[in-house]
Parts: sequence; structure tokens; C-alpha cells
Amino acid sequence: MANLPEAGRVLSRASRVAQWRWVATLLVACGAITVFFPFFWMAVTSLKTPPEIIRVPLQVAPDNWLNLANYREVFQRENFVRYLFNTALVASIAALSSLVVSSLAGYGFAKFHFPGRDAFFLAIVAILMVPFQSVVVPLYLWVSRFGLLDTYLGIVAPDLVSVFGVFLMRQAIEMIPNDYMDAARIDGCSELGIFFKVILPSVKPAIATLLIIKFMWNWNEFFWPLVVVNSPTMRVVTIGLMSFTNIYFIEYNLLTAAAVISILPILLIFLFLQRWVVQAVVMSGLKG
Amino acid sequence: MRQWLRIVLPKSYMDRQRRAGFLFVLPALLFFGSVFLLPLAQSVVQSFYRNVPGGADQFVGLRLYEKVFTDSIFWAAVSNTVHLLFMSVPSVVVCSLAVALGLNRIASLKWRNVWAAMYFLPFACSLVAASLVWQWIYHPVYGILNAALGVFGIPPQKWLQSLTQVRPSIAAVNIWIRIGFDTMIFLAALQSVPPEYYEAASIDGASAWQRLRHITIPLLNPQILMVCILELIFNFKIFDQVYATTQGGPASASQTVIMLLYDTAFKYFRFGDASVIAVFVFITLLVVTLLQWRIFRKPVEY
Repeated sequence: MANLPEAGRVLSRASRVAQWRWVATLLVACGAITVFFPFFWMAVTSLKTPPEIIRVPLQVAPDNWLNLANYREVFQRENFVRYLFNTALVASIAALSSLVVSSLAGYGFAKFHFPGRDAFFLAIVAILMVPFQSVVVPLYLWVSRFGLLDTYLGIVAPDLVSVFGVFLMRQAIEMIPNDYMDAARIDGCSELGIFFKVILPSVKPAIATLLIIKFMWNWNEFFWPLVVVNSPTMRVVTIGLMSFTNIYFIEYNLLTAAAVISILPILLIFLFLQRWVVQAVVMSGLKG
Repeated sequence: MRQWLRIVLPKSYMDRQRRAGFLFVLPALLFFGSVFLLPLAQSVVQSFYRNVPGGADQFVGLRLYEKVFTDSIFWAAVSNTVHLLFMSVPSVVVCSLAVALGLNRIASLKWRNVWAAMYFLPFACSLVAASLVWQWIYHPVYGILNAALGVFGIPPQKWLQSLTQVRPSIAAVNIWIRIGFDTMIFLAALQSVPPEYYEAASIDGASAWQRLRHITIPLLNPQILMVCILELIFNFKIFDQVYATTQGGPASASQTVIMLLYDTAFKYFRFGDASVIAVFVFITLLVVTLLQWRIFRKPVEY
């Protein structure tokens, strides 16, 4: 029975580990609820009437959980349908165009040898170091010179290609064995044909990742639209949201309703496609 | 030169292959050249010219740099930005690392995914919407934060409207916005640590703290450094959060560098001055990124 104290110590250690696991879970859960709270509070406020939100003492639950008057008012005051459409259009164009150009470039960089290839690739990666705000004034002047202020093309222009896309597609296409392309070449396929019939179908996960993350980025874009958009009909949702604020008086019941409208599509996309988004973030992180 | 000529006028199959490769890359090169490199060069050039409304631009050498760099408003904005940076970057890195460690310990995969999704959610939210909702939480009279503090007998604070509290309040919003992004990176890194390392350490009798200190942190070193740099860059470029809530106020206490750039360029239309700030931002972030490369080149010690 010499090993009895030993067994006891092992047991107590195991139970201590289990206890710690519980404490960790509890802390993580509390933190998660804290992080989630602003979303909850936004949704709850959007269901309250103006007298309810200034009621003292503060009451968490709205009187009527199905009070959608604020949402109706938001759509009446501002053309949010148009804003949602504009944003979806601009974000889709940005995602698709960046997919096409990035995958073409990714294919060129991954599978061909031409003079200056590595230098060009380094130059593109170096663009990551150029903050957008450092080029915004000349870009604005160009866009206005071409008469593109207040147009879809003007809003989407700087987002048509992303460095991350080129990087991601090059990485993915490099994994494709050269034999696939050579087989297609022997069958008489053109280089562009190989690109569409062999390369693109083999990198579907990378395509999905790029489309999703680019769409999310552009949905939430604010700085550039703020610079180029003047007329109400060309607003994107982030700009439309700002029309519910002013320095003196903000109707928070309407503001939160507008905020819910503006972020709901992207939150749903995120929740359903979370795996891809996380993968994209980890990739973009690796890129540094 | 000959190489390029052979690409334009291909003689052999290999030449045609090279030309095909170059043509695949060309659209991207043209785009990045015209949207980033050319405007960057123009920003630099413009910072030497004073633009006169309706007249030709006038070369003034370094005079605009002198004007901006001797302006106390500019240095106040830099100092505010650095303040914000020091408040948010270390806290968000520590918080998200702690969250990732905690999430990684949760045994039930289903619950881990649920809690993780809640932490990731702010990443999907636009900065504008996030800041405006926080402004409502911070509301000095009707905000829920003051109501919650009131339960503990703490008098109402002015948060975003207070000269001293505005920067910590915005830093807190930044932490909330960024915690999802950083946690995703740390969690992915933690999940790629081979479990044998921990088993070996347990057999050797290492405590939980020792395992964290001597296995986890050293293995996560590259990710920690990278997240620090990404956060530095992100926080240095802070704009949306300030523009949406305080507009730089009260009394310029939350005026940041990019806010100043935006106002100079698109409120007062002083493109020359704005270009000086743009060059300043570029050089600063360039130095940060190059430092990152230097740090990364050092082999990570395990």
C-alpha cells in the first residue's frame, strides 16, 4: 500500500485540472457574453420607442418585442433599399474583379518563368506597406478628373484588385501539379483554356475564401466612399448610417435600427461561412 | 533588353510561354501601378507644391513640411494617436491571447465553436456601426454603461464627451472591434501546436504556468509579433471610429493623424499639406514594417 498517497496525489491533480477547466470555461463564456452584448443592446434598442430609450431607471427589455416601427421609419426617411443595393453591387464587383485579376496574376506568378517575375511579385507584396490614406488625395484627383465622382466605378475603383488575393491565389495555384497543365497542353488546350478549365476548378476553396473576405471588406468600407460619394442615391450603407447622426441630437432608436439593417447581411454571411472567413483571416495574418 | 524583345517578338515555344506568363500578370501590375505606385509618387511630389486655387501649382521646396511639422495641431494629433495606440494594442493582444488559450481548453467542440463565434462577431461588423452603438452605450445620461455603474454607486461619467476619458473610451471600442481578428489567428496557431509537447512536459511534471511560459508562448512568438505589428498599423490608421463618434472632439482631444489628413484634404482642400501628412504616415508605417522584418529574420527560439 506504499503507492496509496501517490494515487491520491494523482487523483487530486486530475480533479484540480478539471476544476481549472471549469474556471476557464466560465471566464471564456463571461467574456463572450460581454463581447456579444453590444449586438444585443443594438437589437434591443432598435425595438424601443423614443420614450422607452430615455426612461429612468433604464429598462433592458423593450415593452413590445415586435415593435418594428423604427425599421419602417428608417426605410421611410432614408433610401436604405438603395443603399443596400449599392453596397451589395459595389462589394460584388470588387470581389469578382479581384478574383479574376488575382487568379490570372497568381497563375502567372506560380507557373511561368519570365524576366523580372520575382521582382514584380515582391513589388506587389511591398504595396501592402502603402497605407491607402497615403494615396487617397491623388486618387481622388484622378477620379474627379475622369468624372467618376459619385459613380459606381469611382466607388469601386481602388478595390478592384487586392494584394491579398494575388498572394492567396499564387499560393493555391502553386500546389497544382504541372502534369495537369502539360496534359491539357498536349490535348491542344490554349493557355487561357488551361486557366479556365484546369486551374480555376482546382482552387475552389481559395476562390471561395477570396470572394467571401473581399465581399466583407468592401461591405464595411467607409473612408473611400466618404471621399467620393456626394449624392444620396449613390450612398453605401456605412455612409447612409451616418445620416442618422448629428452633433446635437441623435435618435438612437432609429440609429440602432439602421445599424442592424446595415450589418445584418454581413453578419449572416459571416455566421454561415465562418469557416472560410477564419481561414482567410489566418491566411491574411500569415501574409503579415 | 534582349529578353524583353523576345517576349514581344517570340521566336520559340519557350518565348511564347514567357509571354503568356507575363500577360497573365499584366492586369494586376497595371492596376497596382496606377492605383498605388503612381498616386504614391504623386503624393510625394505634391508635398513640395503649394496649390493656388485657380492657378498653377507653385514649387515651395520643404516649406510645407516646415509648416506642418511646426504646427502644434499636427503634433497633438500624433500624440493622441500614439496615446490610443499604447492603450489599445497591448490590451487587445493580451486579451485575445487569453481568450484563445481559454477557448483552446474547452473540451466540447460544439460549445467552443459557439463561444468562439461570439468573439469573432465584431470582426464582421463595420467600424462605423460598431462605434455608433458604443456611443449609445457610452451615452452620459441614458447610456447603459452609466446605468450599470450606478448600481455600484459610481456616479455617471461623461466618457466620449470628457477630455480625459475620450481616448480610453475609444481604445476600448478598438479592443472590442479587434479581439475577434486576433483571437482567430492565435487560436489557429494554438491548434497547430503538437499535443506531444504538452504530454512530454506533463510527464516531466511541468505546471500549467510553466507549460504556458516555456512551450505555448515561445511557439506562438511569430504570431504574437505579427499581431502586434498588425495592431500597430491598424490603430495608427484609426479614422472611422473617431469620425463616426467624436469627430476629433471634445476640444481636439481625440483628433488623430488620419482625421487631420481627411480634414486638411477634404474639408479645407489644402492638398499640399495633406500630402505632407500622407508622406509622414507612409514613412512611419514603412519603418514599423521594416522593423517587423528585422525582428522576423531572427530565428525564433524554441
